[in-house]
Amino acid sequence: MTSEFVFATAQYESGDWDSAPLLPANIIDTIARYTEITVAPTGVVAALSDDRMLRYPLLYLTGHLPVRFTEAERRNVKKFVERGGMLFVDDHNHDIDGTFHKTATEEIARTVGPLAELPNDHALYSAFFKFDGPPTTSHELNGWGDNLVHKHLLAVQRGGKIAVLFSNKDYSSEWNYHPESKRFLTVDNTKFAVNLIVYALTA
Amino acid sequence: MSILSYVRAVRAILAVGLAVRAVAWGASAALTMVIGTAIADVITPLGVAVRAALLVVAIAAGLTTAAAFAWRDRRVLSLQRVALWIEERFPSLEFIVVTAVETGDDRLVPRAAAKTWRGTAVRRATRVVRAPAISIVAAALILLALPAGAVARVRAPHRGDSLERSSRDAASGASRLTPLVAVVTPPAYTGERPTTVDEPSDLRALVGSTITFRGRGSPGGVVVRRGADSLVAASDGDRWSIFFRVDARPSALRFSDRNFQRIVAVEPVADAPPTVSLVTPAHDSVVRAPAGRINLSAEASDDFGIATAAFEYIVSSGEGETFTFRSGTLGAARPNARRASMTTSLSLDALALKPGDVVHLRAVARDGNDASGPGVGVSETRTIRVARHDEYDSVAVEAAAPSDADKSVISERMLIMLAEALQRARPSLGHDSLVSESRNIATDQKRLRRTVGEIVFTRLGGESSGEEHTDDDSPARAKTMQDLLARADSATNRSTDPIDFSGGESPVVAVNKPLLEAYNAMWDASTELEIAEPGRALPHMRRALAAIQRARAAERLYLRGRPPDVVVDVSKARLQGKDKGVSSARRSSGALDSAARRRLDRFEAVIEIANGNASAAIDSLLVLRIDALSDEPAFAAALGDAANAMRGGKSAAVTDALARARRALAGVPVAHDSLTRWGIVP
Repeated sequence: MTSEFVFATAQYESGDWDSAPLLPANIIDTIARYTEITVAPTGVVAALSDDRMLRYPLLYLTGHLPVRFTEAERRNVKKFVERGGMLFVDDHNHDIDGTFHKTATEEIARTVGPLAELPNDHALYSAFFKFDGPPTTSHELNGWGDNLVHKHLLAVQRGGKIAVLFSNKDYSSEWNYHPESKRFLTVDNTKFAVNLIVYALTA
Repeated sequence: MSILSYVRAVRAILAVGLAVRAVAWGASAALTMVIGTAIADVITPLGVAVRAALLVVAIAAGLTTAAAFAWRDRRVLSLQRVALWIEERFPSLEFIVVTAVETGDDRLVPRAAAKTWRGTAVRRATRVVRAPAISIVAAALILLALPAGAVARVRAPHRGDSLERSSRDAASGASRLTPLVAVVTPPAYTGERPTTVDEPSDLRALVGSTITFRGRGSPGGVVVRRGADSLVAASDGDRWSIFFRVDARPSALRFSDRNFQRIVAVEPVADAPPTVSLVTPAHDSVVRAPAGRINLSAEASDDFGIATAAFEYIVSSGEGETFTFRSGTLGAARPNARRASMTTSLSLDALALKPGDVVHLRAVARDGNDASGPGVGVSETRTIRVARHDEYDSVAVEAAAPSDADKSVISERMLIMLAEALQRARPSLGHDSLVSESRNIATDQKRLRRTVGEIVFTRLGGESSGEEHTDDDSPARAKTMQDLLARADSATNRSTDPIDFSGGESPVVAVNKPLLEAYNAMWDASTELEIAEPGRALPHMRRALAAIQRARAAERLYLRGRPPDVVVDVSKARLQGKDKGVSSARRSSGALDSAARRRLDRFEAVIEIANGNASAAIDSLLVLRIDALSDEPAFAAALGDAANAMRGGKSAAVTDALARARRALAGVPVAHDSLTRWGIVP
């Protein structure tokens, strides 16, 4: 085991788990910019069916296609959250009527527990930067998906800690760009990722 | 009438008397056991199993006693012994009866004397029966004197008969909460029979079950509390009863009758959803043309019964951000059985698929749970993808479903079966036939090997060589896995060491490795088959089959190319400086959350109580167990064991269960090394 944080993207059999290939590097860059957390310079792909996924404190899962866990994936995800890990699921369709949303929420409910709205004053929103709720994304009103601005994230909590965080905000599209392009932004839109990681590591 | 006839008549009278005595003593022994059991049951309640065992012991004691007496008196069947018995009673005969029996000559025996023997025998037989008869009468009187229901509990023990028990402490001021009987009736959809529990303290029941608690006496003042809710007892003849429906919440039912109280824990058991497995299609696949039918079959099982079952499909179309979806069901059925097999077929033509579309298939079964469900079980999902025209030769195209031409290729498994059959028939075959048959199999084996080689070449980015389609295995052909890999790597320029799997092995090479092993094994097998040695070829063929199976498993990898490798220059991103931005104080995780801490405090308080008041500790353990059932099942189970052991007075088991409970809650001692748990900055 290393003493550095490794950003892990969850790989599952049923869908396009790698639909946001540039996101990990961008988030790693953000962590390096704003914190002293020792962070690995590249992310890893953690197959949910492989026990090695339990090494990571935070798993990022996204996609457009239906999410159907295999028995091994379901078993490992259950074990992962029982051991205190945090699974961050982002709907790359940003569509609450879409198949990813329907199948992923069903699979999470079956594997971990039912999702509930996360209050906007939750500790997640002040774990590092201060937010009044989940930051909106430019993709929420771009004509694709459900065309809604989602006021809340959804979560399954275990022992007062978020075990599964579910987002319809489409951070996967918002953050999926090369870190070198960040300098062109007036406001860094990846700061919320710092809260996610700091929360996952300290809560 | 001959003298021997007289002797036989005496023997019959004596034998009947002794038989009656044996039976009577046996019955007396059995009744004594029953009386003893009934009296003991009145003094202190005996369990159903104990009473049933004692009834068996009583019957066995009766039979044993009767058998012992019969064995002891078995000599009454001997005419000589009966003659001696007569001589003993009539000494004046001077052994002429014995002599007559032994010789068969009864001329010396006076007939007049023989007529008195029967009367003597009858008196003797009557006398031997007198004592056991008195004993039986006495036992019967004692049985009649016992309280009502006491004998019935011994004669026909069954669960729930504690309400029929008479006890010494049955007075008007006694608690009406003891005895207590619970009848658990599972929901109707399960088809299960009700079960009865005497003196319940910890009940497990399916969600939706009803529990009827019954006790003796009038219902007035008997109340059950569950949290803030109260249930009042109703009259049921000379008894009271309370009806309770089990929901998903664990409950601690507090019964009260004036100053008397008792607690019954009710643990709800959820009906497990059906287990469903999709049998066919066995794996994901890619088709070139969206035509034809796909056979679907699935197996489902449930603990109580499957109400409905069907196949579900979702068709996803598009790419990037423009996905559309269609869904539907197929082969809906109502099995109404614990196990069900589903079969149907899916027409790809009817779905009007386009290149790039993906069909997601799964089987879904619902149970008949109308109380808390229905429970829904789903199978693994299989995907059928229609390849795009521009990806036919790319790594993203997995092994396609067999084309019409490929369907004629005999599988490796079939080849093994043929080789095994040939090996078995070898002793009876002529040399020419053996060679001919073996070479036929070798030809098919070579064709299959070429197919495997083409798949590997295609995946590694090479072109399928025209050479591979000839029947000639020229020396230029890759003969080993290393050769093939070398050629593959040469075509793709991936590495310089073709068999270096340990280092920078690409996922594509890793996936193909089993196929390359299969290719190599097939080569060896075809060589042996060519020289008519099917026995020596079989190990190679089995090795090839195992490798193909491993390759099939590897196919499940979602091969879609690798995301771009972006390595972040962390130092550059940090501008070689310290923390930027204003951060809130970071919090470290506590060893135990506050809820667990409070629970541990309650647990320790219960242990303190246990030293002085075991009964109160048992109740406290049950209440704590109910609270912990949902989120700390291991802790709750250990508490249940501790309560049961405490109730049974098993101190060693109590200690063990309490230790397990503490360990489940507070965790086992952990030895920390220098590394943190998640590998982060402390």
